[in-house]
Amino acid sequence: MHEEELIKLAQSGDKKALSELVKRHEKTVYNFAFKICRDKERAEHTMQETFLSMVKSISQFEGKSKLSTWLYTVITNHCLMAARTSKKHDWDSLEEEIDTYEEKNISSWNIDPEKVMEDKELKEQLDKAISKLPTDYRIVFLLRDVEGMSTAETGEIANLSVPAVKSRLHRARSFLRQELSKVLQYET
Amino acid sequence: MKPKKIKCEEAKKYLSINLGEDLDLSHCLEIKKHIEQCPMCKKYFETLEITIKCYQNYNVELSDECHHKLLNKLGLED
Repeated sequence: MHEEELIKLAQSGDKKALSELVKRHEKTVYNFAFKICRDKERAEHTMQETFLSMVKSISQFEGKSKLSTWLYTVITNHCLMAARTSKKHDWDSLEEEIDTYEEKNISSWNIDPEKVMEDKELKEQLDKAISKLPTDYRIVFLLRDVEGMSTAETGEIANLSVPAVKSRLHRARSFLRQELSKVLQYET
Repeated sequence: MKPKKIKCEEAKKYLSINLGEDLDLSHCLEIKKHIEQCPMCKKYFETLEITIKCYQNYNVELSDECHHKLLNKLGLED
């Protein structure tokens, strides 16, 4: 059944349709939440909060955007709110670190990105690097580069202008590459 | 001839900002040409792509327990 039909049924109180919508999106929601917070328990909590919002607000969903876009927006807002109440990152010093860091010799990396899931140490390095990014930069990188959203869609979800998305994306990409380079490069 | 440093910085910044975008063709070709000729920028581009691919391939499984807890919390368990 098409998603539009399922949404209409769910809006009329059909629990099976609502359940089907949850099943269709739960893996994406859980993964995206995990990718932002890098913690399974917090990802599960965010997923539950996101679907509670969906169940509560489904009757008001007008279908102007895709349901998935709406869910990404709920997760983004939830994680940004959580970040505001937790420890603040010293982003100014990170910006300075990107600007002043000079790689004397850019070397190749001895890793295969297709085998990430088999490499526990690499996963830890990836978690560590992205965890240093402020949440809003992390979200932009994940939406644009990992989830495959366009720059405009990323801006819509993160409530940012296109130039602001591009600026954060550039910073986030440079920073992550730089952080990984410190641990992954080898001399050729 | 060895490319100038400023050109490398420009190429790296351009790549980092515009990777995945529809690029202005003439400037894009200029950058592409530079990367082909400059081993350092070529490695920068390759490692930037690897960075993104690593994060794309890093996924987590949703356990059955998590799935059932979610449906239960939403009052949608069969």
